Amino acid sequence: MKIIEACHLTKKFGELTAVEDLSLTVEQGEVLGFLGPNGAGKTTTIRMLSGIISPTSGYAWIGDYRTDGEIEHLHESIGLLTETPGFYEKLSARRNLEFFAGFYPNIEIKARVEKYLKTMGLWERRQSRVGTFSKGMKQRLALARALLHEPKVLFLDEPTAGLDPEAAREVRELVKKLSSEGRTIFLSTHNLTEAEQLCHRIAVIRTKLLAVDSGQNLRHRFFRREAVIRLDNPGGTVVEAVKKLAFVEDLREEADRLVLVLSEPDKNRPELVNAIVGAGGRILEVSEREHPLEEIYLKLMREEK
Amino acid sequence: MSRKRIINVLLKEWQFLFTDINSVLLVTLVPLLIVGQLILYVWLGATFAGESALNINIFQNALANLQSATPTVAALSGSEQFQVLLLSQFNLFMLLIPLMIAVSVATFSIVDEKLSGSLEALLATPVKTWELLLGKALAGAIPALMVTWICAGVFLLAVAIMGWGYLLGMVVTPVWFISLFLFTPAVTVLSFLLGVIGSSRARDAKGAQNLVVFVVLPVLALITIQVTGIIWFTTLSALLLALGIVLADVIVLRIAVRLFQRESIIVQWR
Repeated sequence: MKIIEACHLTKKFGELTAVEDLSLTVEQGEVLGFLGPNGAGKTTTIRMLSGIISPTSGYAWIGDYRTDGEIEHLHESIGLLTETPGFYEKLSARRNLEFFAGFYPNIEIKARVEKYLKTMGLWERRQSRVGTFSKGMKQRLALARALLHEPKVLFLDEPTAGLDPEAAREVRELVKKLSSEGRTIFLSTHNLTEAEQLCHRIAVIRTKLLAVDSGQNLRHRFFRREAVIRLDNPGGTVVEAVKKLAFVEDLREEADRLVLVLSEPDKNRPELVNAIVGAGGRILEVSEREHPLEEIYLKLMREEK
Repeated sequence: MSRKRIINVLLKEWQFLFTDINSVLLVTLVPLLIVGQLILYVWLGATFAGESALNINIFQNALANLQSATPTVAALSGSEQFQVLLLSQFNLFMLLIPLMIAVSVATFSIVDEKLSGSLEALLATPVKTWELLLGKALAGAIPALMVTWICAGVFLLAVAIMGWGYLLGMVVTPVWFISLFLFTPAVTVLSFLLGVIGSSRARDAKGAQNLVVFVVLPVLALITIQVTGIIWFTTLSALLLALGIVLADVIVLRIAVRLFQRESIIVQWR
């Protein structure tokens, strides 16, 4: 079931087009990674989808609410982790959360604040001023704030930006946990590994939406699948035997490896192995070349230029 | 729900306000200085200028208005009449207290939110713009008003201590009550709303303060025109003016909501 639907969203700031004709959908329970370079329109898209700014043209739905319509109800159903955590630094962590929780209907404020301070590992520091918190702690507190009203949809704008590796890992673990609870997460990030680890699908944006699909499908779309055979005895007879196979579309040798493009990889691989063994080849390893997401991302960026 | 959200904003603002020693001093000390200043003026006027001050043209007009509004004043000595004239300016002079607090407190209300980065998170909650702005305006206006009323009490006490208590019957008139309990609250809310508008339109706190300084000017004009006798507030005119300001509060709140451009605040302020 679609829970986020953006239709031809465009946002212009004067002469500058920040987002152009963006259409995409996100299914309930899905984690969508939103990738793009600085100034690509990621934050602007999140702001439009969360109803904070209006699109110049186009529209979007989050669940039952149009983002330019019933903002109050829309905001009751979404959680937003902003690019900068933004707290009242002189007030305690608990007071900050109580304040934000106070805007939502039907919330047992104290219990809900306690629950999320504990979930984020900040309960012991609940009375401390937020000004004394580390970046990682503020980010966890911001996540707690985004979750206070238990929204179905979460917009996370670069949740690990500027965090040290340990803090970033903690935040990623929290996102995984939230995903396992069935929440829909729209995750803007620069971190390609993070996107690959956490997201079901990845959208790449540079003002326009360049691609949206699962990491695996994006690989297949931009690079042909390549089988890699590592041999104990690479050599002429094995290569000759492989060349004779009709389904081998391309073959190259890389040290002790044969890298092959097959017509139907899943179907052809057993025959390929038989042929190599039949030609006296001793196979050490059979694998498929995984193009890192970075290659796909850079390829998309180059194509767009 | 609106009331709950407004109170939520208000309580947070108070907590924030009273963790700042400068704000606490501003709300407590400055008003007392204003009252002290006024008492000093009355004392200086009565002691050194006395009856001769009434020969000044601008005071003659005002005195004629005062005698017309409160005929018993005519029975007093010239020096006493001058004292009553000065003491009668108190209710307008007191308007400076909420105005000064508004200029210093309300101007930071939105600027601070933006600079701390909390505004975007706040705008992602179900709070409506008018609830946010009214909450912020009331958070400053209520303590400012309380302090103004306390100062009114201090003023009356000081007048009695100075031995001028017998003149209070001519100063504490229906106009005094209308001014203190209707006109002052309405002007206080108005000045805080204007402060919040300034804060939402300016790019930084200094710019906001520069904008809000203009709020003080009409009140100074009001004091001047009464002291110079151009107009004198009767019960009816004070009541009408107060109701006019209450109406202005509602209109200015609507204007504030229109002027509060979420988008430009979020996108342009960095």
